[in-house]
Amino acid sequence: MSTGDTALIAAHDITKTYAMEGAPVHALRGVTLDIRRGEFVAVVGPSGSGKSTFMHILGCLDRPTSGRYLLDGRDVSDLSDDELSAIRNRQIGFVFQGFNLLARTSAVENVELPLLYAHDRPVSPAERRRRAMAALAAVGLQDRAEHHPNQLSGGQQQRVAIARALLNDPAMLFADEPTGNLDSRTSVEVMDIFQRLKDERGITIVLITHEPQVAEYGSRIIRFKDGRVVSDHPNTSRRAAATELEAVALGPSEDV
Amino acid sequence: MSTRSTLSISLRALRRNRLQTVLTITGMTIGVAAVLTMIAIGSGAETAIEDQIRAAGMNLIVVTAGNYKVKSTEDFGGGAVEPSAALRRNDEPVVRAAIWVPPTQTKGSDPFFFDPREKGSDPLVRVAFHPEDDPMEKHNHPTAKQRLGDSEAGLGSAATLTAADAEAIRGLDGVQYVAEGLHQNVHVKAGDKRWFTRLHGTDERLPLIRRAWTFGSGRFFSAREQSRAEQVAVLGAVAAQRVFGDANAVGREVSLWNQPFRIVGVVSTTSWMVAPAPGDDQFDAVYIPFSTVHRLLNLSKLNDITITAASTGDVSRVMSEVTKLLRARHNIGEDKPDDFTVTTQARQALAKGGMRPDVARAVVGNVGGLEKVTLEQLGKTLDRATRTMTALLAGIAAVSLLVGGIGIMNVMLLSVTERTREIGIRRAVGARAKDVRSQFVIEAVALSLAGGIAGVIVGLLAARALSQYLRWSTTISPSAVLLSVGVAAAVGIFFGWYPAKQAARLDPIQSLRYE
Repeated sequence: MSTGDTALIAAHDITKTYAMEGAPVHALRGVTLDIRRGEFVAVVGPSGSGKSTFMHILGCLDRPTSGRYLLDGRDVSDLSDDELSAIRNRQIGFVFQGFNLLARTSAVENVELPLLYAHDRPVSPAERRRRAMAALAAVGLQDRAEHHPNQLSGGQQQRVAIARALLNDPAMLFADEPTGNLDSRTSVEVMDIFQRLKDERGITIVLITHEPQVAEYGSRIIRFKDGRVVSDHPNTSRRAAATELEAVALGPSEDV
Repeated sequence: MSTRSTLSISLRALRRNRLQTVLTITGMTIGVAAVLTMIAIGSGAETAIEDQIRAAGMNLIVVTAGNYKVKSTEDFGGGAVEPSAALRRNDEPVVRAAIWVPPTQTKGSDPFFFDPREKGSDPLVRVAFHPEDDPMEKHNHPTAKQRLGDSEAGLGSAATLTAADAEAIRGLDGVQYVAEGLHQNVHVKAGDKRWFTRLHGTDERLPLIRRAWTFGSGRFFSAREQSRAEQVAVLGAVAAQRVFGDANAVGREVSLWNQPFRIVGVVSTTSWMVAPAPGDDQFDAVYIPFSTVHRLLNLSKLNDITITAASTGDVSRVMSEVTKLLRARHNIGEDKPDDFTVTTQARQALAKGGMRPDVARAVVGNVGGLEKVTLEQLGKTLDRATRTMTALLAGIAAVSLLVGGIGIMNVMLLSVTERTREIGIRRAVGARAKDVRSQFVIEAVALSLAGGIAGVIVGLLAARALSQYLRWSTTISPSAVLLSVGVAAAVGIFFGWYPAKQAARLDPIQSLRYE
């Protein structure tokens, strides 16, 4: 995070082709873009536009068919599976639409998960628990630590997922439709957390969404269509989740 | 990679799927328990046969005072076991001599001279006694009787063997254990209870020869009690039951020949061939140090000497060595007959009732003319029979283990499918393919090991129940337990490997989307 100006993510002419029942499907047809540290990028586009595939490649869950992807100056296009796992563990946090918490597992154990796989620097169980509790406290759920996912509301589950994503102090947070299963008020709460992560901790956030209103919380909006970037511009009229929440607290507002 | 954290991941995952975990463990438990029980039965049969036929019969040599020649119309083949016909209907060869009463003693004068077993005895049996066998001539028993005030004391003691003979036999090559024997019929009295039974004056090493013996309470008398000729007694289980009922006899006092004796132990048996019963020679009996018999009855002779050969194949040689030694010690001229009898108990042990019928049939059926068979042949037949049985049982058990292993594989495959999403989540937060693989392998091994340990417990209980209720002999060695647990772990690794590999191969994105 010392070199604020270099691109954290540098994707050059990324393509991805699947073989779906014999016929090739071109999910990405050459995407080139840079994302700098501390940006809050909202990626929008209709379903099938390739935005999720793009996020998976950026998140090292998937590899491009062709093109070059430099993550923090390192070419990760043809790293081994183990190396990609280590990058996911150390540098990337994921938040999903369906929360993706382990069922029948307490919130704090869910949050601990990334530390179990921190092979390069093993953490003692006590330290693991301490850090997981701290992360839960940061999202305001310290008193729900022993609850299982089915005992938590959707918003609470998503906050547990965010705590988990942040446990290893990643540089990047990838969120795939994080508000898709949440009501509007809870969505604003989640966006508030994201905005504060960006502003206070300088975390780079890539938010995938198909809701234009949600994209408005980002500082830059990228539009995908048919596997290509169709527009990419800074968001000058950024919505401030904190302000909206205050307004709601003062008096119910209809537009959120 | 941290094994500990992988282990804790696996165990947590197992805890979350409790019912599945329990069912799989149950399958494995049955497999391992079957293996262990089968091994227990197999090796139990093996040791039982070895212990009870070979050790207690095959390598047992009994030297009896006096020379009993069998006058039989039959002649047993050369090189064969030569059992005296006189032994055939009795547990101890010496019984005849001990019970025999010279015609000058009228049977009517003392009812205890009458032996019910004598009735209707085999017409083939013609017992010729050594002239020295008349106890009245040799030992001046009226004196002993008067001294002790017991009219039965000292009757029937044979005369030609001494403790020094036994000591000399101990020095022979190939001899394992030697126990002196003096046998009497006595009244055991405790309070108003009386029980007429067999008394054996013997050596403290007798339990080493009677390998099936077990001490329900107390112990056998010690070398120290032997050397001091103390008045201590060990009761056979039947005698103890008759005199003391179900109460603990150890520490109580009984009277033999009107002398007080302290009971130090009660002996019973683990054998399925010989069950303690009234009238038997081993457990309807009382054991005291032979030195005590010598002291109280003013004797220096032994009725018999029981010898075990260190090796079964060596019995014939040891027998002839013993004969040579005793002839030399007794200064018997070349043309004179022995003044003792050397026999083995192999045939007797086999012909005696109480042996499991199938084993008896197998043994007897396989050795046509039992009388003609040599000890070595008999030993080989038994070895073959038990090896076949053990192999068969192990085969059955292996099948059940295989079924248990397939059960584990099935559950693990199901579990991989069911937990695809979990695998995706773990991959997303940084689990490597091999982390996922180790998790599932460890889960499988944990399942099979838990099943293995439970199986060991169930197997131990089953083996115990078998020996308790069916009176089957079972033996469980620590190595059998280790083997079962080891095999369980191996099954877990073997059958857990494939599902774990499948889990590790799953694509993270596909897994995350899996519903």
